[in-house]
Amino acid sequence: MRSRGRLRRRSAITGYALLAPSLFGVVCFLLLPVLVVLWLSFQSWDLIGPITFVGLDNYQSVLSDGVFGNSLLVTLIFVALVVPIQTLIGLGAATLLTRGLPGSAWFRTIYVLPWICAPLALGVVWKWILAPTDGALNTLLGQRVEWLSDPALALPAVAAVVIWTNVGYVTLFFMAGLLNIPGQILEAARIDGAGAVQMFWHIKLPLLRPTMFFVLVTTVISAFQVFDQVYALTQGGPARSTDVVAARIYYEAFDAFDLGRAAVMAVVLLVILVVITLAQQLYFRRRVTYEMD
Amino acid sequence: MKWTRFSSTAAVYLVLVLGALFTLGPFLLSILTAFKTREQFAQQSALSWPDPFTLDNFALLLTGPAQFGRAIVVTVLAAVLILVGQLICSILAAYAFARVDFPGRQVLFWVYLSTLMIPPVVLVVPLYLMMTEAGLRNSFWSLVLPFAFASPYAIFLLREYFRGIPQELIDAARLDGANTLDVLVEIVVPLSRPIIATLTLITIVSHWNSFMWPLVVTTGTDWRVVTVATASLQSQFNGNWTLVMAATTLALVPLLVLFLLFQRSFVRSITISGSA
Amino acid sequence: MAKRSTIIAAGVAGVLLVITGAVTALTFSSTESSGDITTVTVRLWDEQVAAAYEKSFSAFEQDNPDIHIDVEIVPWNDYFEKLRTDVAGAGAPDVFWVDGGSYPAYADAGALLDITTAIPADAQAGWSAPVTAQYTRDATLWGVPQLADPGIAVYYNADLLGDAGLTAGDVSALTWDPTGDNDTLIGVLQKLTKDYNGNTADSAEFDGSNLSQYGYNAGYDLQAMVLNYLASNGAQFQNESNQYAFASDAGIASFEYLVDLMNKWQVAPSAADTNTNGDFSREQFLQGKMALFQSGVYNLANVSAGANFDWGIVRLPSGPAGAISGVDGIAAAGNAASHHPVETQRVLAWLGSAAGSEFIGASGAASPAVLAAQPAYAAYWASENVDISPFYDVLAAGTAPAPRGAGWPAAENAMRPLLDEVFLGRTPVGSGVRAAQNAANATLTE
Repeated sequence: MRSRGRLRRRSAITGYALLAPSLFGVVCFLLLPVLVVLWLSFQSWDLIGPITFVGLDNYQSVLSDGVFGNSLLVTLIFVALVVPIQTLIGLGAATLLTRGLPGSAWFRTIYVLPWICAPLALGVVWKWILAPTDGALNTLLGQRVEWLSDPALALPAVAAVVIWTNVGYVTLFFMAGLLNIPGQILEAARIDGAGAVQMFWHIKLPLLRPTMFFVLVTTVISAFQVFDQVYALTQGGPARSTDVVAARIYYEAFDAFDLGRAAVMAVVLLVILVVITLAQQLYFRRRVTYEMD
Repeated sequence: MKWTRFSSTAAVYLVLVLGALFTLGPFLLSILTAFKTREQFAQQSALSWPDPFTLDNFALLLTGPAQFGRAIVVTVLAAVLILVGQLICSILAAYAFARVDFPGRQVLFWVYLSTLMIPPVVLVVPLYLMMTEAGLRNSFWSLVLPFAFASPYAIFLLREYFRGIPQELIDAARLDGANTLDVLVEIVVPLSRPIIATLTLITIVSHWNSFMWPLVVTTGTDWRVVTVATASLQSQFNGNWTLVMAATTLALVPLLVLFLLFQRSFVRSITISGSA
Repeated sequence: MAKRSTIIAAGVAGVLLVITGAVTALTFSSTESSGDITTVTVRLWDEQVAAAYEKSFSAFEQDNPDIHIDVEIVPWNDYFEKLRTDVAGAGAPDVFWVDGGSYPAYADAGALLDITTAIPADAQAGWSAPVTAQYTRDATLWGVPQLADPGIAVYYNADLLGDAGLTAGDVSALTWDPTGDNDTLIGVLQKLTKDYNGNTADSAEFDGSNLSQYGYNAGYDLQAMVLNYLASNGAQFQNESNQYAFASDAGIASFEYLVDLMNKWQVAPSAADTNTNGDFSREQFLQGKMALFQSGVYNLANVSAGANFDWGIVRLPSGPAGAISGVDGIAAAGNAASHHPVETQRVLAWLGSAAGSEFIGASGAASPAVLAAQPAYAAYWASENVDISPFYDVLAAGTAPAPRGAGWPAAENAMRPLLDEVFLGRTPVGSGVRAAQNAANATLTE
């Protein structure tokens, strides 16, 4: 008995010792900042003056002045543009790339290239391509289109750049998903006389559901946080038409120097993303148990 | 029948090639423009070949006041240090979660996992405040510290992998008198090479590319990283696209080379980890 | 068995050692403080003046061998964002430029050196009075005046005027009038604007959506355009208590006129170009694609260096209330948290002296705020055969002040997107300008 207790204590000590460095990181750089941002959301601070408690003033000003509402709306539209389109293109590309044609691996490699590159640097490249007077695209088109400075075109243009960046990533997952479908199932369907289209809709797509779920979860969450491309392409303009939430937080904090308002927006974003993640998890759990039955 | 199959294959290739051109186009334009003179850029089409071929833009970036070379060194150092710190801390933690029994293990693991839901954007403002209070703002350490101790995501992936290592191997080593560190270094780490390689690639890539945090926490040329240097050149030389494209080329090409060298591992890494 | 762990440990230790070494090397290369020499850092955004400073400081260093001065340029676009985080993080340079809208917040936070006591009064007597007044808050001066921009004027491209059958005389006394009764500006601009088929803006075939030559740079440029058009119509930007007051009837008429120049008469580049790129119009003028370019002396050196056509300067268009221009000054502030306050004060004193500012004027980089250095500026441009009197003559009719008050950054941030929309023609001028004024004033009460 005694030796067992000692063993257990030794094992506990080992466990905590192994955990110590990472726990330090998690507490100091993940959990503590969340508490700090929550605290800051009740303060007024302009970076150089004193930090003073202002109660719910920041919440009231953020939730009432429409600027943050606009940012939420812009972000939602952005997500609604990016996620479905890139999922469709990725699914299409994956279908073409899993037909066993020679060279498929090369195309796959090419399509993934933008995904591994710095979004900021790619954004700067696209800023030139889309520039109104000496940009590459307008030179090619021979026509002046104000891609980034027309409020009606700017958000779709930023979304297009982000889709261009992400398509390879999405393709990769759908390829893996399609290749995982057991050959017998496809064979059986073919014997039953299913055509290519039927096969896709009734066999492949349902079997891709876990992949689809994973791709949607990760891309929705990352689209909600888009910043680098917006910073490079439009800085939130013209007329706040691309002022996504992450950019708004940045500009509120480091351009207008209103850290309290920025903290409120960060708290709201945190709540939104936690709710989305939990909802997706719950949905997924139910779905999985249902399918396993 | 044969004809339709041929034509459908041709159509597939046509679509794939168009997609590839569309994907590669911006990279090629960026690289081509970086080697052009300002005069050629002003006078000729964006698609023209560099003539004369010039290295002036790169020379100006690397030797001029932009100090791009320094930015590359700072970025590499920060990424490597973060990588080493993250791997060590994450391997230790993942082993504890996978194989060591201690009270509170479930709760702590749950806490670690829940931090995955915190978007990095949310952390920028409080971390900035904390770094400023600690007197570390605009220092090399401010780039590294917040990320060097652990990545809950790496811990999660490593734990899954460690759980697949047969307990018998560990028990046998224990009987030979190995302590926990010996077991980790001699058995667990060597058996986990693939997942460690994956984590290495995604850590390097994500910290070479990271932008918002370095933008916020550094100023001036002392500790700025490649992405921040690129952005600041863009705003300083608004319209001097040959110079700006040289900067984007320097920011993009190292990873492109790395990717082409290790493309198999990269592709596997992305599908394993769901990120890069 | 111990081998592998030793190798891994040694490898990790080696990597850490190399990184620590490299970081140490980088740290030293960035501070490079050597022995008895104190380094004082001076930050500004203007490259032309920075070049003049370099000359000025090497003269200073010869007489003051114990001080080395580093000149640091931060581009205008990032300047005030970075300055704020640097001051907050105790990483600000010893001396830094501020403008009238930005310094009050720093002064209120105790971040600036009190110049009234730091510099001898007799030296202060030699500084431009309007600039000294602009940087005085609560009876304390918070910066050493460096630049005293006189008024705004119009640069003209003589070749383009000639093509349109006009001379400098035809554009030197233009008038604008929101009612149209007494307006000579629009007619001239129409002659000076061409579409891609070469039709001028007053011809029936004119296609305003596709311009090859712009008449003028009407747009959302506060200093060069908006403040002057407001004042020339008798409107204020801010009232005496620093509340924003530009949405008066006269103010809205001024905005309406500017917006019409772009969107109705189509004689200026579209707001899509100019809202996001503040240098667009200057580039077009320098490329010979804009006939009249309204700006200040801050672009004089750029125009002189970049224009390969005949050019000159005339008075800005006069409005119902006369030709009234905004004026602005720039000051160098001292960092109250500087580690070497004594050396910093010596550098500030040099910047405020005739000898120290001489270089700014003598190179033609900018108009110095130190009065004794101003003749050098006039002499430089006289030697270049450029008549800069239109920048100064306009001051006689009264001037419009630059934006002021501690809340300017937040107010600017709030009004800009709304005014962007006004200039893009997306919102009606009246309601858009009123909304911008309300948004700006709302930031003051927070």
